[in-house]
Amino acid sequence: MAELTELPDQQLLRMMQMGDEDAFTTLYRRRQGGIYRFVLEMSGSAPLAEDVTQEVFMALIRDSRGYDPARGPLAAYLLGMARHHALRFLKRDQTYVSITQTEDGAWDCGEAPSAYHEDPHSSMSRRETVQSVRQAILSLPGHYREAVVLCDLNEMSYEDTASVLGCSVGTVRSRLHRGRALLIQKLSGGVKDEARHGAVDPNRCLV
Amino acid sequence: MNCKDFENVIHALVSQRLVDKTRQLEALEHAGQCLCCALRLDEETKLTERLQAFSSTVQGQRAPVRVEEELLRAFRERATASSAQLLGVSSKRLWHGLEWGLAIAATLAIAWTVTFLWPRLHPGSSRAPSRTAHHLSPAPPVVSRAGLAPGQVGPHAARNGAAAPKAGHSGILERATPDESSNELTADFISLGTCDDSQCMEEATLVHISLPAEALLAFGIEPGADYSPEGSVLADVALGSNGVPFAIRFVNYSGGNNEN
Repeated sequence: MAELTELPDQQLLRMMQMGDEDAFTTLYRRRQGGIYRFVLEMSGSAPLAEDVTQEVFMALIRDSRGYDPARGPLAAYLLGMARHHALRFLKRDQTYVSITQTEDGAWDCGEAPSAYHEDPHSSMSRRETVQSVRQAILSLPGHYREAVVLCDLNEMSYEDTASVLGCSVGTVRSRLHRGRALLIQKLSGGVKDEARHGAVDPNRCLV
Repeated sequence: MNCKDFENVIHALVSQRLVDKTRQLEALEHAGQCLCCALRLDEETKLTERLQAFSSTVQGQRAPVRVEEELLRAFRERATASSAQLLGVSSKRLWHGLEWGLAIAATLAIAWTVTFLWPRLHPGSSRAPSRTAHHLSPAPPVVSRAGLAPGQVGPHAARNGAAAPKAGHSGILERATPDESSNELTADFISLGTCDDSQCMEEATLVHISLPAEALLAFGIEPGADYSPEGSVLADVALGSNGVPFAIRFVNYSGGNNEN
């Protein structure tokens, strides 16, 4: 097992396809954390994260031939599957996150709880900060949330994020930029309180 | 760098992905000159810190152990099912191969029975050896085993079928069912005087050979109109169990050069 941990994902996958249980275990332990956290951060639901993690690896057991190495690393492929399952679950049961879908298919972000309208620059306990960020992330539209979760929370590169989301790097940058702007708005009290909190509109600032 | 350029690189700057040091310095220099961009940088930096704080709370979280156990159980079941399926396919292929082998063996057995065993068990219904072999001289002589009735040996000749040895009792040479399409003429067997024993007749082996046409004269047979001394005639020589010829019969003896 110690030697297996040094092998790359693709080799472990090949061994797993030949029925090597240790290779599967190694691959699972290496990649399950990222998948679990991604779904947890996307949905805020530990049971859903658990279900999706299990579903992703079940799918890998059932048919691992669907992975094409030419299209990106295995980790991105697994996260893509997790994203697909998570979105399916979230659309089916939107009780996990209080979001509604707009006419153009994007998820409309709800108002952040009143507690988060407080001045973020004030001394807020770490716990409150974490809770406010979690709520702000969960209230983001889905495609912005994905970009923020993958790039900022999981520190994935733009390229890998693009591979997971199935879009271009430019789209990832754009969504990330917009998502962060929305987060700043939410964490600083929203658009209405923008002037009071002194939030900066980049469009007004052109030197 | 202007504000728009700064906005484009601000995320890379705060998340330390801006690897180009020159661009990094330019961005920081711009933020030092532009109050708006400085505030933007401050906002983005604080957001990044909050996101990192949140991320650190979930960093160590992983799926419960029961998920791994469930997956391993599924993996084992899948592996077992795959092995069984593979074994099933192998068995099916093996059985399929055996079926083919048995079919081929049965075909060969039937062919062998029809070709070799049937003429021996039912000598009256079998055909004489093909005459085409006679025309392949100087190919090796065609050999067949058949019994000869003593009464079949005689000096006279007749058209095929008319004076051929009678079939119907054991030991008769199979000339009784001549080929209808054949115009061969056959003579009765001429004894060579080496064996008069009926046992010798029963155990006779028939050898089809080609002889010079002059052999007809040697046996006192009058050749036909197309006789040519350079030609050849076909003959059946009956060999005893000791290998000694004891009777001969000419085929197409009146046809002269029957090699052509």
